Amino acid sequence: MNERNERIHGVACTFRKPADVFHAAEKVRDAGWTRWDVHTPFPIHGMDQAMGLERSKVPRLTLLGGVTGFITGCLLTWYMNSFDYPLVVGGKPFWSPIFPFPVMYECTILFAAFGTFFGQFILNRLPRHHHPLFDLPHFARVSDDTFMVVLEASDPKFHLDESRNFLQSLGGQEITVIRD
Amino acid sequence: MSASSSNLSSKWTTFLGLGVVALVAVWVFAFLGLGHHDHRPALSVLLGCLFWASLLIGMLMLTMITRVFDAGWAPVIRRNWEFMIGALPIVLLLGVAPLAFLPDFRHLLWEWTDASHILPSGHEVGHDPILQAKSWFLNEKFFLIRIALYVVFFGVLAWAMRTWSFKQDTDRTAGHTHTLHAFSAAGIPLSAVALTMLAFDCLMALSYHWFSTMYGVWFFALSIRLALAGTVILTYRLSNGGWLDGILNQAHRHVLGCLMLAFTVFWAYISFSQYFLIYTANIPEETFWYNIREFNPVTGLKSEWWGVSMYLIFGFFLTPFLALLFYRSKIVPARLLTIAIIIFLGGIVDLWFNAVPRQIVDKTAPEGFTVSPFLCGSLATDLLAIAGFGAIVIGLFLRSSTKAETIPVHDPRILESINYHE
Repeated sequence: MNERNERIHGVACTFRKPADVFHAAEKVRDAGWTRWDVHTPFPIHGMDQAMGLERSKVPRLTLLGGVTGFITGCLLTWYMNSFDYPLVVGGKPFWSPIFPFPVMYECTILFAAFGTFFGQFILNRLPRHHHPLFDLPHFARVSDDTFMVVLEASDPKFHLDESRNFLQSLGGQEITVIRD
Repeated sequence: MSASSSNLSSKWTTFLGLGVVALVAVWVFAFLGLGHHDHRPALSVLLGCLFWASLLIGMLMLTMITRVFDAGWAPVIRRNWEFMIGALPIVLLLGVAPLAFLPDFRHLLWEWTDASHILPSGHEVGHDPILQAKSWFLNEKFFLIRIALYVVFFGVLAWAMRTWSFKQDTDRTAGHTHTLHAFSAAGIPLSAVALTMLAFDCLMALSYHWFSTMYGVWFFALSIRLALAGTVILTYRLSNGGWLDGILNQAHRHVLGCLMLAFTVFWAYISFSQYFLIYTANIPEETFWYNIREFNPVTGLKSEWWGVSMYLIFGFFLTPFLALLFYRSKIVPARLLTIAIIIFLGGIVDLWFNAVPRQIVDKTAPEGFTVSPFLCGSLATDLLAIAGFGAIVIGLFLRSSTKAETIPVHDPRILESINYHE
């Protein structure tokens, strides 16, 4: 463990074909890695399962936002129309769940959208202006004709030489160490 | 797979037989009701017919919508819609059409067609200025022409959607997909008009003083909800010992679940908007329709119908809505099936709520009328009518399934549909 160099971000390895990177991902998953990623020029069906990814946690934040919005809408209309400044409008009650429902409903949607948008920002650790991968000269090719597996140094299983050999055993083409 | 499919299909005579027996029984009740001027058994026939007509119109719309959008997931499921929609004109012919064309039933159900009918105000329908103002639309001749047009229009459209699709099985022509694309593009707006008018004539005109421009959209939302719930139930059965065994996958269930969620919200949005506008404007011509669905006019207290409307909010909207928010509800077959059954049964309650309450003249009541009750023996004939029409629809569906491949093997998108992935 003391060989671990803090200035290393990880090891990258390129593949030529979708099937190769798919099977490589399955092996990395089975080896128990948690901090790693796959970069491909296009979505590959089944990659989520091949990488052992769980479903996104964003929907939970959406639900939380929606419930918060609904309660906010209820309190907002109750406080304004019935508590702070009771006002008869159109002979309706000061507060009922019916006439202010559009407010409650719109607040639900607005806050659910906030939950989704800011939730993915937080979970993706955004904003972030630079990433060590951008320093790789051939990284741009993963948006063209190259597939890449990156094992990150922050994974407890990471060990520079062993990880490099592991990637070689997966049939990787070009193996590069990424520095922070 | 083929053995189990033919086993299923061969049961069509049984279903059709059961359906005919049930329908004969319901029609006998309707004729008996005629004797003592009771409209309720005839309303059972109308409810049974409209429940299935609504579901089948929804399936016809989904068939055309997936054609127009060239939906890659759809072909294996759409073939079952095509088997189903053949029953649409027959359902209308066995229910709405005779009720409208037999004068006794017409006068009993649609009070505005009976000029001598006495209103709660004590006036005759024939002298009602509200009816006179609407008589360019609500007159018997035009009404009957419209009813005939619905049967012909939906019959021809369903026939076209089936014929060219089935032809593709044998002649392998990709051009049929383009033909159906064009039919669908024309059929969607025409069906939108037709189903709106059908909802106006068959349901809204049961209470002809009342009017709502949202009514057609409500009927469309209900139709699609019933069609999707019916599809989930049907494909669940067909993927357990039917022709979708090993074909229907998780992604198909997921897309059906997502659509069920979307249309659950849409139904609530439309139903609430209709209520909300009438509540806000507070005009007596409009509010009476909701008042008879909330209060007992004799006691002034909340009636059974208030309970029914609460069921619609919490049982037909909130429960399926909250359940469908969760991803696993959309992919675990038993959970999706449970939600589909809740929506399917809720559709019956929604039709009850919309069709059954009506003002019945009663001189002894303070307002001059009472409201038809919710809990009564006729609920049994309603369910018998729904089961009867259902058995006929399923019988015709199984019979159709022997007339073409059970999945559209030469649809240009068949591989995409079979390998559909989330």
